[in-house]
Amino acid sequence: MADSERRIKDAQMRATINQKLVETGERERLKEVLRTKLIECGWRDQLKAHCKDVVKQKGLEHITVDELVAEITPKGRALVPDSVKKELLQRIRHFLAQQSNI
Amino acid sequence: MGTRAGGSSCPHVVALKESRGLDTFRIILSNFVYCRSPRARRLKAQSCICHDCATTADRLHCCLDCVYFGCYGNQHIQEHAKSHRHHLALDLSYGVLLCGTCGDYVYDEDVNKVIHEEKYRATQGTHANGTVAWQPSSNELNLLQHNPKRRKITHNSTIGLRGLINLGNTCFMNCIVQALMHTPFLRDFFLSDKHECLMMQSQNHCLVCEMSRLFQEFYSGCRSPHVPFKLLHLVWTHARHLAGYEQQDAHEFFIAALDVLHRHCKGDTDYSNHHNPHHCNCIIDQVFTGGLQSDVTCQACLGVSTTVDPFWDISLDLGTSIAQADSQDILTAGFLTAGASAITNGISYTSTSLTDCLKRFTRPEHLGSSAKIKCSHCHSYQESTKQLTMKKLPVVACFHLKRFEHSTKFRRKISTFVSFPVELDLTPFMAHRRNGLDTFSISPGEMCPTPASNENRYSLFAVVNHRGSIDSGHYTCFIRQHRDQWFRCEDDIITKATVADVVNSEGYLLFYHKQLVEYE
Ligand SMILES: [Zn+2]
Ligand SMILES: [Zn+2]
Ligand SMILES: [Zn+2]
Ligand SMILES: [Zn+2]
Ligand SMILES: [Zn+2]
Ligand SMILES: [Zn+2]
Repeated sequence: MADSERRIKDAQMRATINQKLVETGERERLKEVLRTKLIECGWRDQLKAHCKDVVKQKGLEHITVDELVAEITPKGRALVPDSVKKELLQRIRHFLAQQSNI
Repeated sequence: MGTRAGGSSCPHVVALKESRGLDTFRIILSNFVYCRSPRARRLKAQSCICHDCATTADRLHCCLDCVYFGCYGNQHIQEHAKSHRHHLALDLSYGVLLCGTCGDYVYDEDVNKVIHEEKYRATQGTHANGTVAWQPSSNELNLLQHNPKRRKITHNSTIGLRGLINLGNTCFMNCIVQALMHTPFLRDFFLSDKHECLMMQSQNHCLVCEMSRLFQEFYSGCRSPHVPFKLLHLVWTHARHLAGYEQQDAHEFFIAALDVLHRHCKGDTDYSNHHNPHHCNCIIDQVFTGGLQSDVTCQACLGVSTTVDPFWDISLDLGTSIAQADSQDILTAGFLTAGASAITNGISYTSTSLTDCLKRFTRPEHLGSSAKIKCSHCHSYQESTKQLTMKKLPVVACFHLKRFEHSTKFRRKISTFVSFPVELDLTPFMAHRRNGLDTFSISPGEMCPTPASNENRYSLFAVVNHRGSIDSGHYTCFIRQHRDQWFRCEDDIITKATVADVVNSEGYLLFYHKQLVEYE
């Protein structure tokens, strides 16, 4: 298969999966699971503290949400525990396995 | 230039509120962000796509002025705002408002209020530990400002630990109270003051209100032992069979307490009126009720009749004593080949484990020729087998190890060691697992290849122990206060304990909570 063809297939697949996740409400459930997990492991507190530092440093009047997001994203990604990533991945896999029409 | 992250509302939002109000905003929110119906979800799934680049990711936004969906990642929503002078767009992941002209998200109290209302509406009817963040009222904000001290359970804190004075053989009650006070979901419920009393005429008699007060006492930070006389009085009035200064059975007390709590949640003072816990969503039933499936198989036609009954706890046999069991049973259970055996009162019991007890509990049982049942399939009286499995797992699972034997000939206590794990997976005992496959010939590891297997996993958080004989004895308990911090409670004395102390103890009641609580 040509590269471009594969890319199109991938994008189609991604769109179908996303549609399924939204339609069934699974996406919201996963988001909720993720939110809870991140609170439980202290990720949210850590990131919140980091946000406060950034805002203090730059001054409240001189920062946009975009800039704040750009500033904390690398740390935010790095701090997500592997166990949380794994669990979420497993849940998505499990969900897909249950969908007969994908 | 423009509004900054912490600033107040931008002029465009102010203008919107003055001209059109927030109705459009609310409609989009309830259809595309916090869907109220499966129909809305389907529509969302079909239409949430960038009109310019067709992506479904990259933070989609929806224009408030026209029918346009655009992504943030490729700047499509920003460009739309500029070229059409449609300032405001709604972030479809979180519902927040973006002002494309001011170049930032808008923080506006009215907008936030609508977001919280819609979010709440969408999650209504879901689990009590649900998903809606607490929004303090102005009164509560005031209280918080005037009482700046916060209590937090940290590594060395003693919050939540409180001894209970023994009021004369009331250790059976004290250890159940300790277990309830450390049940995470009850704690969340009571400490967030969620009990709305329905016992209009007799709030003084409401056991749920008393539980609320007890939680306040336990988590107040006060370290002197609490005297639970009000509780005892209420128990005596509402569960008369437990009244008197004799030692009572802790398990019996636990069930009686749940029953009274469940009744008082409904504001019911009429004791003849029994609610079906199946359809009850009081905090007790939300936390403790599970569903037990019973499959009765007719030996003639192999037709299966299935019923599901609610349960608050599971009572488990420790295994028949060698002397009593018939040889058939011994062979099938593998008793003769099993390891160590303990001798109590001259009768031999094999030391066993919680898992073994659960296997025995969920094993098909032949009902015998003297117990013929009318089959609903072939309509004749036939011998049958019966098998119990878990249909719905409770949030908190309580296992009662039947250490007290009462028969016409004798009464005795079985002190056999029963091992139990700190983490328990109930998947092998679930109804859908058992249908058509002999689960126990496969090891648990191989058995659950499904990725979502943590759904049925539990953590131990309280153990009630009994020492002494059936006639004179004493109850104590272990409770988990914080992560793996264990404490032993003996009435008013609380001492630190290790996990090893807990799992090596002679357990009588074992309390586990679900590791992952789903919302429906
Ligand atoms: Zn786009
Ligand atoms: Zn527009
Ligand atoms: Zn603006
Ligand atoms: Zn009440
Ligand atoms: Zn109830
Ligand atoms: Zn039959």
